[in-house]
Order: sequence, then C-alpha cells, then structure tokens
Amino acid sequence: MQLPLFEYHRPASLDEALATLGTAGSSLAVLGGGTDLLINLKLRLERPRALLSVRELPELAGVSVDAAGTLRIGAGERLTDLATHPLLVARYPGLAQAIRAVGSRHVRNMATLGGNLCLPTRCWYTNQSEGWRGSQLPCWKTEGQVCHVIKTASNCRAIHSADSVPALIALDARLLLRSSQGERELPLADFYRDDGIENNVLAPGELVIAVLVPPARLRSVFVKAAARTGLDYGYATLAGALGGSNRAPKSLLLVAGSVGTMPMVLHQSARIILADGLTEASIEAAADAARDDLGEVTNLFTPPGYKKRLVRGLVRRVLNELRRQKLPAAD
Amino acid sequence: MTRQLITLIVNGDRYQVPVAPHETLLDVIRDQVALTGTKRGCTSGACGVCTVQGEDGRAVLSCLALAIEWDNRPVTTIEGVAGEDELHPVQKAFLEYGAVQCGACTPGLIMTAKALLDENPDPDEEAINEALAGALCRCTGHIKVKIAVREAIKAMVADAAAEDSHGV
Ligand SMILES: Cc1cc2nc3c(=O)[nH]c(=O)nc-3n(C[C@H](O)[C@H](O)[C@H](O)COP(=O)(O)OP(=O)(O)OC[C@H]3O[C@@H](n4cnc5c(N)ncnc54)[C@H](O)[C@@H]3O)c2cc1C
Ligand code: FES
Ligand code: FES
Repeated sequence: MQLPLFEYHRPASLDEALATLGTAGSSLAVLGGGTDLLINLKLRLERPRALLSVRELPELAGVSVDAAGTLRIGAGERLTDLATHPLLVARYPGLAQAIRAVGSRHVRNMATLGGNLCLPTRCWYTNQSEGWRGSQLPCWKTEGQVCHVIKTASNCRAIHSADSVPALIALDARLLLRSSQGERELPLADFYRDDGIENNVLAPGELVIAVLVPPARLRSVFVKAAARTGLDYGYATLAGALGGSNRAPKSLLLVAGSVGTMPMVLHQSARIILADGLTEASIEAAADAARDDLGEVTNLFTPPGYKKRLVRGLVRRVLNELRRQKLPAAD
Repeated sequence: MTRQLITLIVNGDRYQVPVAPHETLLDVIRDQVALTGTKRGCTSGACGVCTVQGEDGRAVLSCLALAIEWDNRPVTTIEGVAGEDELHPVQKAFLEYGAVQCGACTPGLIMTAKALLDENPDPDEEAINEALAGALCRCTGHIKVKIAVREAIKAMVADAAAEDSHGV
C-alpha cells in the first residue's frame, strides 16, 4: 500500500507547532511515531493536506518526578524507553506492563505515548483498504448509516484498544493539553467519549503534551488477552491499581480496555473488594460483578458473549496478582 | 509535488536522494538506493520483513518510517551485516540450522535478531520471544529461527571469550 501525497512540517519549537496547528485546523494531521497514522493514510481513512511532526519537540520529551511526587511523562517519549524505564518498572509496574503490551518490540521502538493516547478506534470493516471498504455499504465511520458489526447500533461502536490507557486511568492519571490559546489539564478518564468516531475531546489546534500521575503508593497490574500476545491488539485488557493492604484496601480502580468505544471502569467489582478486602471469596464475587459493569460490549473480533466471560477471568487474574504483589518501595 | 534532497547514510555509504514527503524509508532504500535485501511485505507494521536498524541499533520498520525523517541518520540494512569476507554469526547460524525456507522473511528476521543481540548480547528466552514476535515467518515457523538465534549467541560469546584470551 502506498501513502497518498501530503506536505510535511517539522516545527522547531512547541510554539511554532501550536501556531501552525492553530491556523491549519483539520487539514493538518499530527504525526507522532506514525505507527498508526501512516497505516490509516495508506488505507485512505484520513486525507490530511499536511503532517506536523511533533515527536522531536523538546517540550514533549522526558520522564520526571516533581517535588510533590507527581510523575510526568512527555507525550513524545518512545514506548520502548518507557516499558524499560527503571522508575516505571519499580513504582508503576502495571503501567510498564501495559506499555510493553503495545504491538511488537519493532512498533514500540517507533511509537510514542502521545500517539497511543490519541489512537483512533478500530473495526474489522473500516480498518481495510479503500477497495475492500468499497465492496460494502459505508458505515457510520465512513459517512454511511449502518454498522456492519452491531446491526442495531445507532452510532459507531468501533473499539478503543490503546493499551497504556486503562493502566493510566487506573493510576488516576491526568492529561496536559496545550493550544496556541493556552493550556488545560483534565483527568485522562474524561478525555475519552463513548463514540467510535470522535472518541476523544481533543479540540482543534490542541496537542497532547504530557501525562501526569499523582503521587500515591499503589500496587498495579495490567493483563491482556490477545490472539498473539507479542503483536496483536487485545480481545480484552484489564488494569488494576490498589492502595492500602489486602485486608483493608483504601482505593481500587479496575479499568477494562478493548471492550468498547472507550475504556470502562468496573465500579461494582471495585466496591466489593473495598468493602470486603481481598479474599478468595471477594475476588470471585468481584469477577462475577464485572458483567453488570460492562454493559454493552463490542464483540467485534470475537463471538457473542465472549468478552464478558473473558473480562470475568481477567478480573480474577488482576486481583490475584495485586494480592500477591509487594507494595512498591517509597522513594 | 516538491522533492527535497536528503542524505541517506546506509551501511556507512552516503546517498544523495530526492525524496517526496510521502515516500517511506523502505521505498527509498529499495527503489532509489537500489538495495533490495530489505523486503516489502504487509506495508503496515505487522510482518517485520522491512526491518532495518536505526542509528541507536534498534529495529525500525522501514515501511512505517518517512524517508524525509531520516536525513543524515545512519541506517543499517541486511547488506551491511556481513563482514569483509565472513558472514555475521547470526547469518551463519541461520544457514547452518536451516532457519531459511523461501527466504522472504530472512532479512527481516536477521535484522531483528541482530538488533536484539547488539543491545543485549545474552538475552533470555523471554527477550528472544519478545524481539522475534514482531517479525514473522510463514514457512518455518519460529522454532528453527529461535534455535539459530540461540546458536548465534553461543558462537558470539565464544568469539568474545577467544578475543579476550588473546588480550585484544
Ligand atoms: C502491528 C501493529 C500492532 C499494534 N498493536 C497495538 C497494541 O497491541 N496496542 C496498542 O495500543 N496499539 C497498537 N498498535 C498501534 C500503535 O502502534 C500504537 O497505538 C502507538 O502507540 C501509536 O503511537 P504513534 O506515536 O506511532 O502514533 P501516530 O501513528 O503517530 O499517531 C496516532 C494518532 O495520535 C495522534 N497524535 C500523536 N501524537 C499526538 C500528540 N502529541 N498530540 C495530539 N495527537 C497526537 C495522531 O494525529 C494520530 O491520530 C499497533 C500497531 C501496529 C502497526
Ligand atoms: S512490510 Fe513493514 S512490517 Fe510488513
Ligand atoms: S522462510 Fe518463507 S517466510 Fe520465512
């Protein structure tokens, strides 16, 4: 597959990037590592006039911890560097596991965190060549009025499957965005929308600058079920982050990925553990409760009912691993 | 469409090539530099046959890299792997242990294995699996490839020990 024609800009500074982005609007696509964008261009899913390369911007680089203990990861950081970063591996093991689960080592050598956070949703109908798509009626995402996967769907149900996201939401991460108008910060969980087409709230002219993880000593785990774990997108993933002890947990966030248009927080399952502590019985009850939390899932690459059963198993696995994991050392 | 003259540094040789923004590193290496050892497969990041090494030695998928971003940055392709009159230990092991059938995947797998061993001369099973997962073979499967990689590691460790004992 060949790329379509486009212009290419590599701004020297963030200010220059934001100014270009502010005036060009949607005719410009932001290029991180390109491991997803370039494929979508080859498939003619997007037709920008120009690409704006942001990966080398110094303002998007770096992993640091400030005086208050907040972790900051720049959006331009490569996934390979993050997956093996000693600070992430030691203090945020679930995040390191999630980043390591993205694609293959080859892909992670090129891909950035910002690109992962802004990854478009996927579906077996749209993520095909233009010719292939042309053999069927267009769907919601390609300006038609049907869904080829869920016949009754009244909007696009394509799947959000960026692996770092559930792990970051479980850690209560925040997102730092900037445009030529100024900067804003929001919880990462609020960045995503329940819509397979416009699946995040990034405004025109805005760039993802960094992810901020608030200070907390948490145990954390990420697991992924995929056809080939070394390369494929997940059928379902689950991230968990736990504060406090097994007997008296203080906080717990369980977040499922690759099950629908956005990551899903499993409130019911977490409530059971927070009330009863981590025991064999409470883990079973929490796994059973996941079904109700999930609501409608998109069984896109899987048979009906499959993902709910899968997530049940993943909840059990994550909770058992959290129960065994040692609390990361304080600084 | 305007082309821009860039300098590609492939296997230590400098090539002045005019590139358009939409041309991939893979296209330019094969069609302009005329080194066709690097293969064109899925062109979407999923097969690894287009693997080259970047300046930091890491495996790069040249089908997902824009040539224009590689101005003056060294790239190693399969043609740059063998020594003056001897194959690289990974190449030797692929031959000796039958890790090649049709050969379409071979350059990508060798570049993948070399990138792994350049970074970590003594990888464990998990690290080998992790690296090889991104480069596929549809003929042999990964079993013979893994045998070859393990044998290459042994040979390289033995070579390094021999060099040490000669006080080099
Ligand atoms: C074979 C293969 C397997 C894969 N498997 C997985 C997987 O298992 N899990 C997974 O999560 N992903 C997977 N991916 C998808 C992709 O590689 C990753 O999501 C990667 O992290 C994307 O990052 P990138 O820098 O390459 O993004 P790009 O392709 O450069 O960009 C992706 C999107 O983000 C936008 N963007 C990038 N940076 C910014 C920024 N700073 N601000 C605003 N917008 C920005 C782009 O405009 C684009 O819309 C896979 C890809 C391939 C080719
Ligand atoms: S051709 Fe590049 S990964 Fe398949
Ligand atoms: S030898 Fe044929 S694909 Fe690997």
